[in-house]
Amino acid sequence: MYSNNYTLFFVFIVTVVLGTMLSFTKDNVKDLQDQNLKADVQKTILRSLNFEENLLASNESIEQTFKNYIDAKCVNIQGEIVNCNIEEVDIEKNEEVLPIYIRMNNNEIQGIALPVAGKGLWSTIFGYIALTPDTDSVLGIQFYKHGETPGLGGEVEKKWFTDNFVNHPLKKPNGEVKYVPKKIRDNSGKIVSIKVVKGGVDYSESNSASIHQVDGISGATVTADGVTDFLLEDLLRYEKTLDKIRDYGTI
Amino acid sequence: MELFNSESKKIISDPINVNNPISLQVLGICSALAVTIRLDQAIIMTLAVVFVLCSSNVILSLIRNYIPTRVRIVIMLSVIASLVSVVDELLKAYLYDMSKQLSVFVGLIITNCIIMGRAEAFALKHGPSKAFLDGLGNSMGYGLIIIIVSFFRELFGAGTITLPDGGAGYVLWSIPDSWYAAGYENIGLLVLSPGAFIILGLVIWIQREFAGVEEDA
Repeated sequence: MYSNNYTLFFVFIVTVVLGTMLSFTKDNVKDLQDQNLKADVQKTILRSLNFEENLLASNESIEQTFKNYIDAKCVNIQGEIVNCNIEEVDIEKNEEVLPIYIRMNNNEIQGIALPVAGKGLWSTIFGYIALTPDTDSVLGIQFYKHGETPGLGGEVEKKWFTDNFVNHPLKKPNGEVKYVPKKIRDNSGKIVSIKVVKGGVDYSESNSASIHQVDGISGATVTADGVTDFLLEDLLRYEKTLDKIRDYGTI
Repeated sequence: MELFNSESKKIISDPINVNNPISLQVLGICSALAVTIRLDQAIIMTLAVVFVLCSSNVILSLIRNYIPTRVRIVIMLSVIASLVSVVDELLKAYLYDMSKQLSVFVGLIITNCIIMGRAEAFALKHGPSKAFLDGLGNSMGYGLIIIIVSFFRELFGAGTITLPDGGAGYVLWSIPDSWYAAGYENIGLLVLSPGAFIILGLVIWIQREFAGVEEDA
């Protein structure tokens, strides 16, 4: 039998050795991890803004593309530009300083990406929604960080789900179906956001709101409701800014 | 030390074949179902498990005579958990896309019954070289099965074969568009968990038949 003192001593030594090993590893790879994380966020922004996949192949090309095409700034809730350190803005809690990423080409706005974040079922979901320059339709949406159940709520980051936001089947009078993006504004120009609908979207004539709705994920109603809630909440924070861009073509 | 005498060979080959941890002992099923959607995920997962199981077996075998019996489970768990955390951190640094896809399942290697099982049943009773071989055999036995399962799931479920590379995976082969045009369709069920059960069941059947295992009546 081992004495209590020996047992305590042994456990202590093991803890110190393993702890040292772990902190040594973390210390060595932290910089690389941070770079990966930063590139991943930038990739999400670029992807939501519909950049070609071949521009997003490596961390270097992502950084380059981001530098060349993206105008990143912060606005406040009144739609005025404010100074900020955009990488350190807390997207989830922050309400004073709102980051906005604008895709520019020859001084012309081609798309606007806004961070969105909110509670799903288990975790906070982080993502970016990109809007067309008229701030009416969705250009793309991407989620990059969440802790939802893989296969259920975790499906929010999958292509089939995010594609729902840009593929609205519009029936033309001659019976052909044309795919258009979903709209965040209703006919009067009010921001109504996009609702994730349990089951599937009712595409019959009687459901005039279907352009503001996307299919939900089976088995993940709470996650879907969370997405609906924080999309609306976050888009409304940018209402003044988006109105400005729509009306004047600039902030 | 004779590393490759017949006993050592048996230690390493038994768990790959006649005593396979997945198909015979039915351990480690959780991750076998979860990470077998794509071949590249299964390959990286196999490498992670090979590393964790070999290292944990060797480390625990080295200190086996000093571990107080009463706290051995805690010690085993801390060693395994630390190794898994190291793997997780390394993946995040060097294979970021892969670590995102494997998500929680790298961390869940800690709870993979194979690893604790081998530590308790083998590493604490044998020397480091044997423990290493046992770890290698068992992790390869695990890897072999999940690689086979993922190969069929990806091929018939998604129509591709993907190998791991630095980024999101290198597509080695995918079913040509002409097949789809001719009416071929992917079996969506295989991408979902029930598909994993079906393939795994078939693999277990074939493997047991192959290894000549008879279930006790």
